[in-house]
Amino acid sequence: MDELTVEIGGVRTAFMTVEPAVLDVVAARYDGFLSTAPPDWRITVGLRPEGVVDLEDVVVRSAGGLGRLAVERHDFAAILDVPARTGTLALGAVDHVAVDTFLRVTYSLALLEARALLVHAASLGHGPRSWMFPGRSGSGKTTLTRLSPDATLLSDEISIVRLGDDGAARCYGSPFWGELGEAGRNAAVPLAAVHFLRHAESHAATPLTPRQALQSLLPNVLFFAAEPALVARVLEVAGALVERVPCFALGFRPEASVWETIHGA
Amino acid sequence: MPDGYPVQNPRAAWRVYEGEVVIVSPEDSTLHTLNPVGTLIWEAADGRTALASIVGRVCEEFDVDRATAARDALAFVEQLCRRGLLTVLDAPPAA
Repeated sequence: MDELTVEIGGVRTAFMTVEPAVLDVVAARYDGFLSTAPPDWRITVGLRPEGVVDLEDVVVRSAGGLGRLAVERHDFAAILDVPARTGTLALGAVDHVAVDTFLRVTYSLALLEARALLVHAASLGHGPRSWMFPGRSGSGKTTLTRLSPDATLLSDEISIVRLGDDGAARCYGSPFWGELGEAGRNAAVPLAAVHFLRHAESHAATPLTPRQALQSLLPNVLFFAAEPALVARVLEVAGALVERVPCFALGFRPEASVWETIHGA
Repeated sequence: MPDGYPVQNPRAAWRVYEGEVVIVSPEDSTLHTLNPVGTLIWEAADGRTALASIVGRVCEEFDVDRATAARDALAFVEQLCRRGLLTVLDAPPAA
C-alpha cells in the first residue's frame, strides 16, 4: 500500500491506498501542502463499488460510538473515527472534487481537536501579520483578495485559524480555494484582527464586542457534525478566538484604500 | 403563577458574554442570543428550580412587577421549549 501525506493547518493526514490514481489526484491537488513528516491522521482509501450514487448534499451522521461519524456524498462514502484519528474513504469518483470535499469535512473535525477552525473567510498576510475576513458568498471576500496584490494569499474562501499553546491566534494557508481558484501560501501568520465584510458606500471599521463577534463568526464556521461535545468544542474555540483577537464589522467599497482602514483599526 | 421546573437541553452548547447567553441549538446548530432576563431564566433552568421561584429572581433583579414577570417568563419558556432548548418537568428529579 502506498502513502502520501498532506499537512493543512499544522495537522498531517496520510492517504494510504493501493490505487495509484488516488495518490496522483492528491499529489496534484495539494501541491505545496505535502509533507514527509509522520501523520496525525491515517485515511485508508479505496474505490466505492457502486461508483457515483444519487445523493445531493454531504450527509454526516453518527456511526455508533463517541466521535465515530459516517460521511457520505454522491461521490464518496467515509467513516471517521475522531478519537483514533483514523478513517476509511471509498471514492465513487477519483477526482479532486471528491477528495477536496472529503478533506473539508475531515479537517473541520481534525482541526477542532487542535483548537483550530475552518472559517468561510478570506485571509491575507502583510509582513508578520494576517487578517481574516469572514463573510457569506457575495460579501466581498474575492473582491478584497483581488484588491490586495501585495498581500500574501492565505485563502480566498476557506480560512484556517488556530489558537496556539502560547495563546496567540494564527492564520494558516489553506488549500481550500474559492472563486479565485488558487491555493493559499502554506504558512502560519499571527492574526492581527478579524473583519466581518460587507459592501458599503465608504470604508469603515466598527469594533465589535466579543458577543457580537461570536454571533457573526459562528454562522461562518464550517462544521458538519451535530454531536453535542463537538458543537460545544466549536463554541469554546470560537469564543476563545473572539476574546483574544480584535474583531470589527468592515464596510468597504471596492478600492485598495480599504487597507488604510484595516491597518488603522 | 406558572408552575413546572424548566431544564436546559443537555445537548445545547452555550456561553455567557457580557451578561447575555449565546446558545447553539443541538439539532440544527442555530444560534440564539438571550437578553439579560432570558439569560437569568436560562441559567436558572436546572430542573430543580421552580419557574415560580425563577420569576421571583427576575423581580428581584429587574424592575418589573410579579404579574408581568410571570406572564413574560412563561411565554419565554414556551418559546424555548418550541425551539428544543428547554423542557419543563412536572417535578424535580429525585435526588
